[in-house]
Amino acid sequence: MIWYQYLSLGALAVFLIAMLWHFIRLIKEGKPKDLSTKSGNLPKAEVYAYTIAMMPNHKESAYLHLPSFTAGIFFHIGIFLSILLFFVFFFISPTLFPQWLQMVLALCIGICGLCGFGLFIKRMIVKKMRELSHLDDFLSNFFTTLFQFFTAIYLIAGSFAPIYYILVTILLLYIPMGKLKHMLYFFAARFHLGYFYGWRNSWPPQKNY
Amino acid sequence: MEKLTKEQIDKAIALLKMRPDSKLETHLNACVHCGLCASSCMYYKAMKENKFIPARKVELVASLYRRYCTLTGRVAPFLVNARELDDQMAEEMIDSLFGACTMCGRCVKHCSIGVDIAYIVHFGRRMLAAMGLVPKTLQATVDAALTTGNNMGIETSDFVDTIQWMEEELQDECGEDARIPLDETDKDILYTLNPREPKFFPLSIAAIAKIFYAAKESWTISTHMYDVTNYGLFNGNNEQAGQIAKRLHDEVIIKRCKRLVLGECGHGSRANRWEAPNYLQQPYEFETITAVELINNYIRTGRIKIDKSLNQELVTLHDPCNLVRNGGLLSELRFAVKSAVSNFVEMTPHGMDNFCCGGGGGQLAMSEYNERRIKIGEIKADQIRKTGAKVVVTPCHNCVDQLSQLNQVYHLNVKIKTIAEIVADALVLDKE
Ligand code: SF4
Ligand code: SF4
Repeated sequence: MIWYQYLSLGALAVFLIAMLWHFIRLIKEGKPKDLSTKSGNLPKAEVYAYTIAMMPNHKESAYLHLPSFTAGIFFHIGIFLSILLFFVFFFISPTLFPQWLQMVLALCIGICGLCGFGLFIKRMIVKKMRELSHLDDFLSNFFTTLFQFFTAIYLIAGSFAPIYYILVTILLLYIPMGKLKHMLYFFAARFHLGYFYGWRNSWPPQKNY
Repeated sequence: MEKLTKEQIDKAIALLKMRPDSKLETHLNACVHCGLCASSCMYYKAMKENKFIPARKVELVASLYRRYCTLTGRVAPFLVNARELDDQMAEEMIDSLFGACTMCGRCVKHCSIGVDIAYIVHFGRRMLAAMGLVPKTLQATVDAALTTGNNMGIETSDFVDTIQWMEEELQDECGEDARIPLDETDKDILYTLNPREPKFFPLSIAAIAKIFYAAKESWTISTHMYDVTNYGLFNGNNEQAGQIAKRLHDEVIIKRCKRLVLGECGHGSRANRWEAPNYLQQPYEFETITAVELINNYIRTGRIKIDKSLNQELVTLHDPCNLVRNGGLLSELRFAVKSAVSNFVEMTPHGMDNFCCGGGGGQLAMSEYNERRIKIGEIKADQIRKTGAKVVVTPCHNCVDQLSQLNQVYHLNVKIKTIAEIVADALVLDKE
């Protein structure tokens, strides 16, 4: 391993400790203690909250905004793929990948990165998005988009390794500070939503007489 | 607004730092500012002002959370938009959280993450209440409930007169043995009303009494505490909400009734069915159900007979947010209405996706926001118009009030009825 790989591993450790702290804090605070008489089925509601309720045909944020929603989905696929490759790269250098695989992965991640870049531009030029955003929103989008672009570049040009690992280091250290920690809070929010609607028997949806 | 004192600010921040569970922490950290909730909120849809985007309402509270409760917010406030709680912030909060949200929760279901925006808005209202910044109009409604026992300040003698008048109407229709029993004890049911009923819509009291008469129900209304509403749900003062809820709770015990039946009021049902045990920190010793569930029970068990051909006009249903999205009664409302009418048409959208009437969240009490309330109501008016219905049924007297105003302003030319009224119209009384 080379120094910049150690650097990124150090950042990974900091990231994991910080996110673990957030996670433990949530667990310690616990779930709501509702003293009203439960009406619904909580396990079913929780499953629904994490699955069908997330489907694009169930949320206006998806079906009324298909271009943004689709770009967002690809953007996130690209992030997950890039994270996966970050770990893979410790065991197999991308230069050892078959050339076709390098090209396919780079192309896919590059397209996902472009989606992220598109959302970045949207945030800058659409007034309502600009007014809703602050520096953290721009930086979060910027770092994750760059992460994908450099994953793609590193796949086909091994000489970019130092820049790639430094960028990963910055990203990992940045995540717990800003909105990127929604990678944890997203799951907690779905849990609370399932709990709220499930307790009152609003989820899963009832048969419409 | 007078300049905020340090004491006021400290009270609000103390609330922010007090976390009974992980819900607040979660929702304050979850929004990704994607802005996709904008089109789910009737305020933004109707007025196209960016400050009405649901996420902007969340952001007000979240920015305070970041400033006072996170390291990043303290060290680098510019990075995460961590804001101070100052006069300008308080004014923005009042305008957005009290004046531009009905707490309908429509945006919650459609948020790309699942942020409970209505919960955060309510929390923001709690912070404002802690600082004594509840709009005077809304607070006056809560104060009326606290000092007189009902939110409209109706004198007991006036209330009794109205009930006696309705009892006479009922007896004209059903016979001498039909009654509206007041202040009796050891009955199966303590029934509650929205004070708008004795004040503006007394016929709905006669309607439910007719149903009780047909079902041979053992019931009573308390002249001391009949108010089902609880505007403490909206002013953000949980202590006051608890005081109001406790009165109703205690009245059931004092009257030794077996069940508390919540009259047709969306927020009142929510407050008493779902929130009150938490305000009082005790599970209720008796069953609490809504009037609609009770009526459905009569229909299902054959305790009352219904002839739906008696209601021939085309009927649509307005889903009160607090009964459907936030109360789980989607199917129950449809069962009741469809049992009682021959021609039914749904609004688009309806059920979990339904738009608020525009009068929820205490908006009907805050006259300073009347113009906004009527403007956002245009969405509901359009929904109603598109159904072609002649009758709009809704089991909530606040919704009835708002819909009646929309009916006038937007020339809808519809009749607005409660579920008890539409069921009473279809009731077949036993000749014996
Ligand atoms: S849709 Fe949800 S996550 Fe997106 S901006 Fe609105 S509240 Fe935030
Ligand atoms: S709760 Fe209703 S009124 Fe409030 S922001 Fe959400 S959609 Fe708008």
